[in-house]
Amino acid sequence: MLQRFLNPSILAGISNLELVARTVVDGFVAGLHRSPDFGFSQEFAEYRAYTEGDDLRHIDWNVYARSERLYLKRFQGETNSLLTILLDASNSMQFGSHSVNKMDYARYLAASLFYLAIHGQRDAAGLLTFDDEVRNYIRPSTRQGQLHRLLAGLEQAEPRARTDFGKPMRYFQEFLKRRGMVLIVSDFWESPESVIHTIEPLRYHGNEVVLFHVLDPEDVRPKMSGPSILVDMETNAELEVTPDYGKKEYREKIEAHLADLRERTQAAGMGYCLLMTDKPLDVALREYLTLRGGRK
Amino acid sequence: MGFLAPWFLAGLAGLALPLYLHLLKRQTRTPKKVSSLMFYESRTQSSTRHRRLRYFLLLSLRLLLLLLLILAFANPFVNRDAATLASNRLVLLVVDNSFSMRAGTRLADAKAAAMVALGNKGAARAQVASFGSQLRLMTQPIEDQAALRAAVQAIQPGDGHGNFGELARAVRGIAEAMHTPIELHLFSDMQRSDLAATFADMVLPDNVRLVEHAVVTKAEPNWTVESVDAPGQVWGKDVKPVHVQAVIAGYGTPAAQRTASLIVSGKTTATKKVMVPANGRATVDFPSLEVPYGFSRCEVQIDAADNFPADDLRRFAVERSDPQKVLLIHNYGDTRSPFYVGAALSAAAQSAFIVESIIGNEAADRKPSNYAFIILSDLNSVPSLLENSLTEYVRQGGSVLIAVGTSTGARSQIPIFGAHIVDTRDYNRVPDRYMAVGSSDSSYPAVAKADGWAGVKFFYALNVDPGTGPGAARVIVRLGDQTPLLLEKRIGEGRVVLLTSGLDNLTNDFPLHPAFVPFIEQTARYLAGSERQGGARPVDAFLELRNARERGQGVEVTDPEGKRPLTLGEAASAQSFQLTEAGYYQLRLANGRQNVIAVNPDPRESNLDVIPNDVLALWQGKGADTPRNASAQGPATVPHKVPESLWWYIMLLVLASGVAESVVASRYLGTQREEP
Repeated sequence: MLQRFLNPSILAGISNLELVARTVVDGFVAGLHRSPDFGFSQEFAEYRAYTEGDDLRHIDWNVYARSERLYLKRFQGETNSLLTILLDASNSMQFGSHSVNKMDYARYLAASLFYLAIHGQRDAAGLLTFDDEVRNYIRPSTRQGQLHRLLAGLEQAEPRARTDFGKPMRYFQEFLKRRGMVLIVSDFWESPESVIHTIEPLRYHGNEVVLFHVLDPEDVRPKMSGPSILVDMETNAELEVTPDYGKKEYREKIEAHLADLRERTQAAGMGYCLLMTDKPLDVALREYLTLRGGRK
Repeated sequence: MGFLAPWFLAGLAGLALPLYLHLLKRQTRTPKKVSSLMFYESRTQSSTRHRRLRYFLLLSLRLLLLLLLILAFANPFVNRDAATLASNRLVLLVVDNSFSMRAGTRLADAKAAAMVALGNKGAARAQVASFGSQLRLMTQPIEDQAALRAAVQAIQPGDGHGNFGELARAVRGIAEAMHTPIELHLFSDMQRSDLAATFADMVLPDNVRLVEHAVVTKAEPNWTVESVDAPGQVWGKDVKPVHVQAVIAGYGTPAAQRTASLIVSGKTTATKKVMVPANGRATVDFPSLEVPYGFSRCEVQIDAADNFPADDLRRFAVERSDPQKVLLIHNYGDTRSPFYVGAALSAAAQSAFIVESIIGNEAADRKPSNYAFIILSDLNSVPSLLENSLTEYVRQGGSVLIAVGTSTGARSQIPIFGAHIVDTRDYNRVPDRYMAVGSSDSSYPAVAKADGWAGVKFFYALNVDPGTGPGAARVIVRLGDQTPLLLEKRIGEGRVVLLTSGLDNLTNDFPLHPAFVPFIEQTARYLAGSERQGGARPVDAFLELRNARERGQGVEVTDPEGKRPLTLGEAASAQSFQLTEAGYYQLRLANGRQNVIAVNPDPRESNLDVIPNDVLALWQGKGADTPRNASAQGPATVPHKVPESLWWYIMLLVLASGVAESVVASRYLGTQREEP
């Protein structure tokens, strides 16, 4: 039942981003109990003898009662990782044909991932928002209150200007000290070649890079009741287009674009996940967990 | 072609609305934001061309729809020949079955002519009706020949008096309801007496064409018993001989001797020969009518010598019963009033009433309901017991005649009547020493037959206030100085007549005048309620079955054929009844009285003179030079223009264009659906 809270339209009614993230993750985890393929943080790994300084909360008191020896219970998921989300906050992310626009969807996604990482995996998490400049950067950390800082960063990320991957990526590389996971959330209105060319260097440092391609349903299948004048949200350029064009030629082009981007991303050793804003968020969460599972 | 409501064409200005909307809409395009124009290409020219084409079709349909709606309201019509509208016209076959159609084979001839006309009517709808005193439709407008022929055959001879004015009024009503051309085929003997009082009453509407089929073309000689003068009632055992007087009339007849017979309850009691002059009248007098107690069905009959035996007799009914008692209460010493009133009643009312006179003091133990009515004459004081019982008697339907004398002048109010006495008028002191009648209501029966009381001198009268409002008394006669002389007032269910002078010859000389006798007679009949329904009535007359206070009590009517024409509901509530057949009707009225009414056809039906050709031509609207169409040629097809409305056709086009507009609009303006 909780899985219905993965629906973006329902999440749009929740104003608190932390609550959104908790709702999404709880719903997602509840769904996992029915799936044997995924067992992560709470999976038993081994017992280790207690040494001084260990956290007393991890002592298995049942074993102590039987053997009068102190043992710590270890789990597989307790290996820590580093998660950084690069969020595109350009004007095109404002587009939405229904109750949730792309920016909202990206926020829910990022918040859910942060919540899962920090509370579920105890990973260090960071955020970089950008358009054609770096707008905000929160370093990855496991410090107390990191989740609130990240969520506040997401709240403040208002779409403006246009997308340019070049400058933000170069900036980010300068700060990237440890290996970790880099998730790039954008609508990627660039040529696949340019996108890959700009992002590929992140991979060289041993990072796991995944492209979350967020698109509105009308980005793929535009609806027009008649000949229309279309306005580009980033450049404000205008163009008169017929419905017939939107039905045929445009679709062929966008599908070719998506296929090209997917191929080039995978060829560069990066992950690619296409997310439609009318679909639930669990696809992205699965992608993240799969990726993290592979890193152990 | 024309328009029945052309002012609706002003709505054509409304055509500008879709034009404006379409032109405006073509200029308005709301820009739509998209994430990126990366994969879009411009397609401006082709899209505009496409849109214009589709808009043109939609615009045309909308303009057409509006135009048709405006035309529908303007109601266009085309003038078409009536001949081409055979299926739309109505052939109305009217067969005259008035009393005169019983003469010879007139009705059979009329029905045969109607049959021929039915055969010639073609595909048109027809309706059959009979026409006596009023039009009676026998069928609906139908095309079924068998049903129409059966309806013609079912027409029976009637006893009513035909009136073409009534026929025209009924046809005008049908024409208003039908809105189609009507061919009125009238099968009749075209009696002159059937013409309406004024020609305007017989005018037919424009869409009605009269085709008359006369079954006779010239007048036939006919003798008839035109009227019988006989009393409706005789009273007592030994009465004066009762005269019966009959008038024998001849129409278009030579001088001839006729034999008239008086028949009482089927037995001929007297026979007389009478010489009837050519085309004239003769009177037969039967000096003594002997009838037993109860009702007797009588008739005067002449020997049959013409082609119309049905009108050779005239019926009347006579009732013999005991006379009614009248109580006259007078002042002590007043002997004149009983004398004059008694003499008048015995002289005029055929011994219908017996006057019983007493003085006021003796009246206390009398029961007023035992008397037909009560007369109070010149009472200076009425015992309170008597006043109360008389007031109650009047309230329950009784009647009182009050003649005030000089003694009443001392009072302030008339007892029972209740009017306030203003003053007394003693005309001995005026120069002429009397006052004559100034004005009188001649519709009142007691005054009408008394010749307005001309020459009567009144020496003394009370000036009473008739009052105002619903309880006011009706003033029937006033003296020259406007003093009310004769008043009537309804109290409860009864009535009180007040004479503000006396019944003796002291306060006036009225009892010495001949007018006194009819006054007393009519007043007695009026107050006693014995204005008998009459020994004879004409066909189609209405008979009053009950008055206001007899509501809910059943009446019983038996017609000449022995059937009861009233339903149970009608018997309990009907106020009146129409006598539709000639013969004897037997009645049991709401007040329990039995009665027998003799009903005779209208004597005008016996005059078989026919309408002149020029009058008929005028009625047909042809003018005097057109020959009468007396043959049964069937419906003629005289071409004349008839407007035919195109409203229905236009509404069908409106429906079709509305559907087309919806289809085109939904295809073009609807949101484009996503292809899977």
